[in-house]
Amino acid sequence: MQDESLFSDLSKRGISRRNFLTFCSTMAATLGLQSTVVPQIAEALEKKQKPYVVWLEFQDCAGDSESILRSTKPTIAQLVLDVISLEYHETIMAPSGKNAEKSLNDVVKNHKGKYIAIVEGSIPMKDGGVYCCIGGKTAIDMAKEVCGNALATIAVGSCASYGGVAAAAPNPTGAVSVKQAVPNATVINLPGCPMNSENLTATVVHYLTFGALPQCDKEGRPLFAYGKRIHDNCERRTHFDAGQFVRKWGDDGHRKGWCLYEMGCKGPQSYMNCPTIRWNEGTSWPVMAGHGCIACGQPQSWDALGSMYTRLPNVPGSGYQTTADKIGLGVAAAAAAGVAVHAAIRSSKSKSEDKK
Amino acid sequence: MAKIAIDPLTRIEGHLRIEAQIEGGKVVDAWSSSTMWRGIELIVKNRDPREVWALLSRI
Repeated sequence: MQDESLFSDLSKRGISRRNFLTFCSTMAATLGLQSTVVPQIAEALEKKQKPYVVWLEFQDCAGDSESILRSTKPTIAQLVLDVISLEYHETIMAPSGKNAEKSLNDVVKNHKGKYIAIVEGSIPMKDGGVYCCIGGKTAIDMAKEVCGNALATIAVGSCASYGGVAAAAPNPTGAVSVKQAVPNATVINLPGCPMNSENLTATVVHYLTFGALPQCDKEGRPLFAYGKRIHDNCERRTHFDAGQFVRKWGDDGHRKGWCLYEMGCKGPQSYMNCPTIRWNEGTSWPVMAGHGCIACGQPQSWDALGSMYTRLPNVPGSGYQTTADKIGLGVAAAAAAGVAVHAAIRSSKSKSEDKK
Repeated sequence: MAKIAIDPLTRIEGHLRIEAQIEGGKVVDAWSSSTMWRGIELIVKNRDPREVWALLSRI
């Protein structure tokens, strides 16, 4: 651990107390915690020392690194990740070759069991792991050593979490997730292609505040970020319920921002907090921009859910309003039928909710 | 005559190894190796062409 706490660095960088507390509140909200924990978060960030972090890249595209780095202005969240003691990150570190390896080895040796390993990219197992080597070592050997000796490993992005792109059929290199490659490591998965940097920040803040990783689902994903279905928090959901669908790119419905389900949106099968925290500092997210969700945070999303533009079959609840409109055409019967249909909708909705 | 190897080469996207043969203080020969391969060329084979952009943009 470093001598200086996080807040001493933030104040040096001109972050005011007020902005710092606003950030703590945002983190509490992202983590789904009550505002009463804000002082606890603030205290932890002020007093706790910075953890050592090493960031490993294996079969990756650096998309998750970009997700962290490519911010239009420096945010407090960026600074939080900036001021953790990031000892090793191939894409951004100054030393190369042996000196780079030394930075990594020093942390593993001197801070065994106390550092956090962040892993981006999958690990190839085929042919003895030759498809990804760094400094003459295979990714699998590196992962075993670095993740096996870490306090915890945060797998960022879908490749590190599930195998991702490299593991898409026919998985030419035998790519697997960090947890599959190093089963004895403590791993938390932050999938997404890329993962959302807000979720990484919140996970780190949770660890600093409570001394533990956040509660996870069976896929090893923190519930605060992956506990809710995209479809249920989608701003286009009312159009789904109303049977108002985009049928063709650029059609009238598309221009009006109707539901993208017919265009292959995988929101009904996807669990992630994109609709609420969005991307690029809360600017937008894919569905808001007019393209369906591709379920990038789901296991084996490139193969498991069919083609990106093929409609998911039988999502319960689609087209209620279409039926209601048809019935409603008869003027005299409209009111009575409307009530009946509404009642039917309510009952079938509660049934489908019961099934969950 | 000496041979040096720089691996990993940092501040680039991807994994790269550079080896250089040095004679009399000059580099006389050099080799670069991309030390990571995923086979995305094989992964996009037989896929719906409309989704290939999404895979290839993650290179």
